Amino acid sequence: MKRKLFALLLTAATLLALTGCGGGQSKSGGELVLYTWEGMFPQEVLDGFTERTGTKIVYSNFDYDETMLEKLTQAKGGDYDVVIADDYIIEQAVQAGLVGELDKSIITNFGNINPRYQGQFYDPSDKYTVPYGCGIPLIVYDPAAVDFEIKGYNDLWNPALKDAVAITANYRVINGITLLSMGKSMNEEDLEVIAQAGEKLLALAPNIRLIQDDNTQDALLNGEAAAAFLYTSQVTQVMAENPNLKVVYPEEGLGYGIMAAFVPVKAPNAKAANEFLNYLLEPEISKACFEYIGYVNTTGAADSIVDPSLVAPASAGTGEFIMNVSEEANDAYNRNWTEFRAACGQ
Amino acid sequence: MKHLRTSESALPEVQSAPEAASRVKRDRWWLCIAPLYAFTLVFVLGPALYMVAVSFAENTAGTGFRWAFTLDNFLKLRDPVYLNCFRESFRLAVSTTILNVLIGYPFGYFMGRLSVRGKRVMMFLVMVPFWTSSLIRLYGWLIILQVKGVFNNLLIALGLIDEPLKILYSYPAVLIGMVYALLPFMILAVYTSVEKMDWTLVEAARDLGATRAKAFFTITLRMTLPGLMSGVILTFVPSMGLFFIADILGGNKIVLVGSLIQDQMTRGGNQPFAAALALVLAVMTTLMLWLYRKVTHTSELEGMF
Repeated sequence: MKRKLFALLLTAATLLALTGCGGGQSKSGGELVLYTWEGMFPQEVLDGFTERTGTKIVYSNFDYDETMLEKLTQAKGGDYDVVIADDYIIEQAVQAGLVGELDKSIITNFGNINPRYQGQFYDPSDKYTVPYGCGIPLIVYDPAAVDFEIKGYNDLWNPALKDAVAITANYRVINGITLLSMGKSMNEEDLEVIAQAGEKLLALAPNIRLIQDDNTQDALLNGEAAAAFLYTSQVTQVMAENPNLKVVYPEEGLGYGIMAAFVPVKAPNAKAANEFLNYLLEPEISKACFEYIGYVNTTGAADSIVDPSLVAPASAGTGEFIMNVSEEANDAYNRNWTEFRAACGQ
Repeated sequence: MKHLRTSESALPEVQSAPEAASRVKRDRWWLCIAPLYAFTLVFVLGPALYMVAVSFAENTAGTGFRWAFTLDNFLKLRDPVYLNCFRESFRLAVSTTILNVLIGYPFGYFMGRLSVRGKRVMMFLVMVPFWTSSLIRLYGWLIILQVKGVFNNLLIALGLIDEPLKILYSYPAVLIGMVYALLPFMILAVYTSVEKMDWTLVEAARDLGATRAKAFFTITLRMTLPGLMSGVILTFVPSMGLFFIADILGGNKIVLVGSLIQDQMTRGGNQPFAAALALVLAVMTTLMLWLYRKVTHTSELEGMF
């Protein structure tokens, strides 16, 4: 009896699956394999595309950029239709010939992209990529606890902030903002300049309350810190919790991390892939996506409708990416960092 | 016994058949232990040797390294910045151990003098915190110590302070966390020693006119010294490597060797240097263990009479 029931259920399930398949095919448009991290799209955006074009979206995940590059290399630039990953890995994918040129006759919304995020090192002539969100670490402070206006990195050195600053824990980023505060590049290779930055960092030590990568924003909420240097997702979270805090785009310049979408060179359904990218660039769709992922909006045409905290003001300085530096420079950055952390504990 | 075994192996031909069979059987027992040996060789000795090898390799830009013999990784340790990490680790380990002795010894001593039922209850209470992950217990300390936390609210409610104290992310906070995490090891080590002590000796000393203090220092302390020393090692050695407490409660501002190794392994991208640091730390720990064996050996002799 039990077995019969099971067989019956199985048949029913198979039939359902078959009708499901048939339904998809009858609308035509095939399928689109989207390859990116988990949780990069609100479901209604994906459903909306399927509804409009009949193309079924297969959402495939990776955890690390490196995994994506490995899979894409094995597939020789095939198997996937749209890939979204970080800037530096896209540069490697382009160099390996795995990235196909965009079909701008389909992507009519290409002009919607904010030029601030275009022409970057991984795609200098904008042939291959559509940016999908930018990470910009920013300063957030509590005006109730700080009695002067913070405008840039240099203000973090103000003695009024003694034992009241929380910062993230990436050694290159913290060395980088110190260099920016000195008017230098975040990727400085000159050991003497790096040593100067190390000296300057030591002077920041008395102001540091804590150094932490996870949930750094909590320090602003639980009263441990009056000002904090935070990653974009942390800025979004903390502003949602306490809108009275102030966000500062440091005047000395910004650190960028851009996520961008590209179509692999042998994408099975390149036409649908370009259509999908065009769809993402519609202002309403961009708004839904960026408010969902909480990264800075890269679709300029959506600036007026998206959550204002996700728009970098036009007055904000230009952005720079953290790049690999020589072994000696990297060593010097590491040394600065260890010395700085130890000085913070004194 | 030893003599007998030697003569046996010297003259294998005189063994009777059943003896030889049991010998074979006994030999086969090695097969049961062999996987354990293989496991140790592959997963303990192997990685350790690999680490030693890497510590002499050359670092390259990015995260990789190249196999070429160099002493640079060790020479780099002479930089005051890195020497300071070792000093800081040592200082924290010593302070943690001293505080643990001051708190854990009396605790273990009185625990050992309780009734059987009392001992059982105390043992249970000491073990209960282990049911929760140590990381979660540390986050508990965060909640207790933070500016708007339990401790500050309590002090303000009692009218003892007006402004909240900034305890978190400081050396005292780290010390509290370290002592808290390692105290059970000290208590249990001292307790074991006190429990098996022969109290008639103390009675005899008292009968012969020794004061309570004199009896304690000449008899009890000496006889429980091995337990105290094991407690010291059990807290000192781990506290050289327990860096996550310093990272969480110290806000990453107290740089211990463990934390430095993690930095170099991950973001810093200098695996050979990380290996060299780990090797030096391991050698230092081994030295401490060696010292411990010497010290406890002599203390056992002292406790003999």
